[in-house]
Amino acid sequence: MTAPAQDKPLLDVRGLTIEIDSRRGPAIIVDGIDLTVAKGETLGVVGESGCGKSLTMLSLVRLLPNKIRVKSGTADFAGRDLLKMSKAELREVRGGKVGFVFQDPMTSLNPVMRIGDQLAEPLIYHRNLSKAEAKDKAIELLRLVGIPAPEKRIGAYPHELSGGMRQRVMIAIGLACDPELLIADEPTTALDVTIQAQIVDLVRELRAKLGMSVVWITHDLALIAGLADRVAVLYAGTVVEDAPVDELFARPGHPYTRGLLASIPKLTDERTARLASIGGTPPEPGRRPAGCPFAPRCTLSEAICHERVPALEPLGTPTHRVACWVAQRQIREAA
Amino acid sequence: MSMQPSVQPMTVPLVDDEPPVSLWRDAWHRLLRNRLAVAGLVIVVLLAFVAVFGPWLTPYDFLSQDLNARNQLPSLAHLFGTDDLGRDVLSRVIYGTRTAFVVAVVVTAVAVVIGVTLGAMAGFFGGWFDRIVMWLTDMTMSVPNLLLVVVINASLKGPAMAWMEARYLETLNPFYRETVWVDFLLVFGSMALISWPPYARLVRAQVLSIRGRPYVTAARALGLTNRLILTRYVVPNALGPLIVSVSAGLGTAMVLESAFSFLGVGVNPPTPSWGNMISDGLRVWQHYPHLLAAPAAVLGLATAAFSFLGDGLNDALNPKGSK
Amino acid sequence: MAAAEPLIRVENLVKHFVVRLGAFGEVGATVHALDDVNFDIMEGETLSLVGESGCGKSTTGFTLLNLHKATSGKVMFEGENIVSLDEKRMRPYRRQLQIVFQDPYSTLNPRMTVGEAVGEPILFHRLATKVELPERVARLLGDVGLPARFASRYPHELSGGQRQRVAIARALACEPKFIVCDEAISALDVSIQAQIINLLLDLQQKYRLTYLFIAHDLAVVRHISDRVGVMYLGRLAELATREQLFSNPLHPYTRALLSAVPEADPIIEKTRRRQILTGDVPSPLDPPAGCRFHTRCPIAMDVCRRVVPEWRDVGAGHHVACHAVGAVAPG
Repeated sequence: MTAPAQDKPLLDVRGLTIEIDSRRGPAIIVDGIDLTVAKGETLGVVGESGCGKSLTMLSLVRLLPNKIRVKSGTADFAGRDLLKMSKAELREVRGGKVGFVFQDPMTSLNPVMRIGDQLAEPLIYHRNLSKAEAKDKAIELLRLVGIPAPEKRIGAYPHELSGGMRQRVMIAIGLACDPELLIADEPTTALDVTIQAQIVDLVRELRAKLGMSVVWITHDLALIAGLADRVAVLYAGTVVEDAPVDELFARPGHPYTRGLLASIPKLTDERTARLASIGGTPPEPGRRPAGCPFAPRCTLSEAICHERVPALEPLGTPTHRVACWVAQRQIREAA
Repeated sequence: MSMQPSVQPMTVPLVDDEPPVSLWRDAWHRLLRNRLAVAGLVIVVLLAFVAVFGPWLTPYDFLSQDLNARNQLPSLAHLFGTDDLGRDVLSRVIYGTRTAFVVAVVVTAVAVVIGVTLGAMAGFFGGWFDRIVMWLTDMTMSVPNLLLVVVINASLKGPAMAWMEARYLETLNPFYRETVWVDFLLVFGSMALISWPPYARLVRAQVLSIRGRPYVTAARALGLTNRLILTRYVVPNALGPLIVSVSAGLGTAMVLESAFSFLGVGVNPPTPSWGNMISDGLRVWQHYPHLLAAPAAVLGLATAAFSFLGDGLNDALNPKGSK
Repeated sequence: MAAAEPLIRVENLVKHFVVRLGAFGEVGATVHALDDVNFDIMEGETLSLVGESGCGKSTTGFTLLNLHKATSGKVMFEGENIVSLDEKRMRPYRRQLQIVFQDPYSTLNPRMTVGEAVGEPILFHRLATKVELPERVARLLGDVGLPARFASRYPHELSGGQRQRVAIARALACEPKFIVCDEAISALDVSIQAQIINLLLDLQQKYRLTYLFIAHDLAVVRHISDRVGVMYLGRLAELATREQLFSNPLHPYTRALLSAVPEADPIIEKTRRRQILTGDVPSPLDPPAGCRFHTRCPIAMDVCRRVVPEWRDVGAGHHVACHAVGAVAPG
C-alpha cells in the first residue's frame, strides 16, 4: 500500500457487471457499476425493485442465486479483490470482516436453532473462541443491540421473538466478528415505523461506537436522508447519481432522482395536490433500452439520450457525479 | 427547478409486441422444451393408441393356440415369440396394454371423481364434514393396500362367481358366462377404493390454500356467488397439481394392476395382463427369457414414460416450486 | 357538510377471532382484533386509518364490508345495518361498496384475462349487456390509464403498477359509491406509488367516490386524506382532520408515530428530536387492561392501567381516547 490508508476507500467496486440466464439468453442486469465506501462512511444505495441493488451486494460476498453471475468487474476490499478470492479466503470475509443483515429476519434465521447458538457459530468459526467465550460474547452482543435480559434470550428460538427483536438479532449476527463493513439489505422494510426508528437509531449509535463502514440498501429516500453520508441512486442496473447526502437532497442532478424526490409526499407540505410522478415503468431486467436506461421515461430526453449511454461524471463538484447528458450540458452552458 | 419532471399519467406497456400468453399455454411451451417429458408424452400417446386400436393391430388372436409353435423365440412370424400354449406374445402384450390402460383409466377416473368431490367439499365447507373425510382417508391409507385387495378378492370373488353361474343357469344369457367382468369389477373396485385418498388430500389442501388467496376474497367482495367462485377461481387454479398427480396416478395404477395380476388377485388368465404374463414367464425364464422380457420391458417403459411426463408436467405447471 | 348524514356510520364495531390451539383444538383463545370502534364516513371524503401491523386497520375494512363477520356492533349504510346481512341480502350492497387490496400480484385470478376480470362484475351485476361489454371495459381501462388492448392480457404479463390499475378498474366496474383501499399502494415502488395516488384522486373527483384509505405510510396519508384515524392494538386512539392530527396530535401514541416517520430532508433529519418508543406492541391475544398503550406510553398514569379511556370529542370533531388529554387544553 503506497497511498495513506484514509485516502484509499475500504471498498472499491469498479465496472461490476452481472448477467442472468433468461429465456432469451444471457441478459445484463447490473451494468458496470462503480461504488466506493470510505472507512467509517455510511453509503446509502437507493433504487426501486429490480434495479439490481441487492444483487450488487450479494455478488460482493459471492452469494448470487443460481443462473446469475458476475460477468466482469473488480471489488477491492482492503487491498484484495472479493470477486477473485479463493473459497477459503471468502469464508474468512463472510460473516467476519463483512457482516450482512438481510431484509426478512424470519426467513434468514434458522428456525430450529437457538439464537445464542446462531450468534456463537461465527465466533467459534472466525474467532476461534471456546464455547463458553462465545456464549459470553453472544450475551454481550445481544445487550449491545438492545435486547433486554440477554442471558435469558440466548436460549430462545426465533419464533419466540417479535419482528423487531429478530431484526436486532440479525444485526447482532452481522456485528458478531467486529466487521469493518456492515451491509444491510432493506433491514427495516418488514418492520413498523416505530420499530424502524429504533433500528435506525441503533445502527447510528453502533457505527459511532465501533467505527465501521455501512452500506444501507433501501427503496426509501426519506429513511436514507437521516442515515447516510453519501447516496448512490441506482436505476435499471446502473448508478445514475452519486453524491453526499445533503448535496443530493438539495441539488439532485439526475431527472430520475428529481422525480423520485418530487413524488414523495412531504409531512411539511400543506396542500392536497397531485403528486409529481414519473410516468411509465422501469424496463424489465434484460430488456433495457439502448442509450440512457431512463430515457424512455424522461421528460427531458434528447436524441443523444436514446443512442449513447452517459458516463457517471462530476457535476459541479468532484464528489457529486451524475450520469445524464442533459444535466452535464446544462452545467457546461452555465459555466 | 428548471428540470422538474411534468406529470405523465400514461404508462408505457412492457409487452406491446407479443401476443397474450395464458398460464396454460405457457406451461405447454415449457413442457415441450423438456426433452424427457416429450419422450414420455410420445410413449404414453403410442401406448394409448395401441390400447385403443389393439384388436386391429394384433397379428394373431391373443387366445388362439398353436400347439405346433410353442415356446418359440422371437422371429419374423412372431416378433416377440410364442408362449407355452403357442400363443403369439406380441398379441398378448398388446392386449395386456389394453387391460392396463382400461384398468388405469377407469380406476383413476373413479378415484379422481371420489377424491376431488370429497376433497373439494371438505376444503370448502370444513367443519364436521371435513373431519369425517379426513378420518376416512386416514383409515383407508392406514390399511396395507395388498391386504385390502386380497381380502376383497377372497371374500367377494367366490360369491360373485356363484351368482353369475346361477344367473346363467337361470337365464342362459351368455353374458353371465363372461367371468372376466367379475375380475374387472373387483380390480376396479378394490383399486379405486385404495387410490382416492391421495386425490382427496391434494384437492382439499389446494382448496384450503386457494380459498385464502386474495383473489378469492376479491371475488367475494364483488358479490359473486359461491358457485361462480368455485368454478372460475378455485377449480382452475387447483387444476395444475391435480393434473400432475393424475399423470403419476395413471402410471401407479398400471403398476398396481400388474402387481395384483402377478399375485393372482387381479385379472386372471386367460385375459392377458402384463402382470400375469410376467408371472407365467417367471417360472420358465431360464429357458424362455423372452416370455418374461417382453411384458416386463413394456411395463417398465410405460412406468418410466408416465414418470417422465409427470415430472415434466410438474416443472411446467409449477415453475416456481421446481427450481 | 358537518351536519350532513354520513354515508357510513360505524358503531361499537367489535371483531374477535377465535383461534384453536392444542392437538384437538380444545383450547380456544381470542384475538382482540377490533374493539369498540366508532366513526363516520362522510360522502365524498377520504378517511384514512393508520397504525402499525396488527393494530386492526385492515380488519376494520374487512369487517365494515362484511367480508369478516362482525362479532358485535353496527355498520349503517343507506339505513341498513349491513354487517347483520347474510351473503344473499348483502349482494346488492356489495356492488356499491368496493375494495382494492394491497398485493396486486395475488388479487387477480391468474387464469383470467384483464378483460374478463374487469368485465365479470359488469355482467354479474347486469350493468351492461354482452354487446356493450367490450366498449365498457375499454372505457374503464382508459379511466385507469391503461390502453384498451390490455383487455386480452393476463395478469402475469403486467407490472405491479399496471396490475393495481386493473384492480382499481375492476372495483370501478361495479359503479360503487365507496371504496376501501386496503394498503393499496404499499407494495408498489416509489415512482409508481405517486402515479396510483394521483389516479385515486382523479377518480374520486370524476365519480364522487368516498374512500376509506388504510395505510401505514403517514406521508401518503397526509397527502390524500380529509380526516385521519390512528389505531393501536384494535382500538381507535385518535381521529381528527388532517390539519388537526398532524399539527396538534393529542394522543401520545400519535405523537410517537409522527416522530418516527423519516423526512426526505437530511437537514431536518439531523436536527429533529425523535421520541422513540421502547418495547414492542403487546399480543392481541392478551391485550393490556385499561388503556392498551400504557405499556409503552411515556406519560402513563396509574388510572391508565385500570380504566379504558373514553372515546370523546374534544372539539370540532377531534376525537381522542386518552386519560391525559383534557388536562391539557386542546390546541
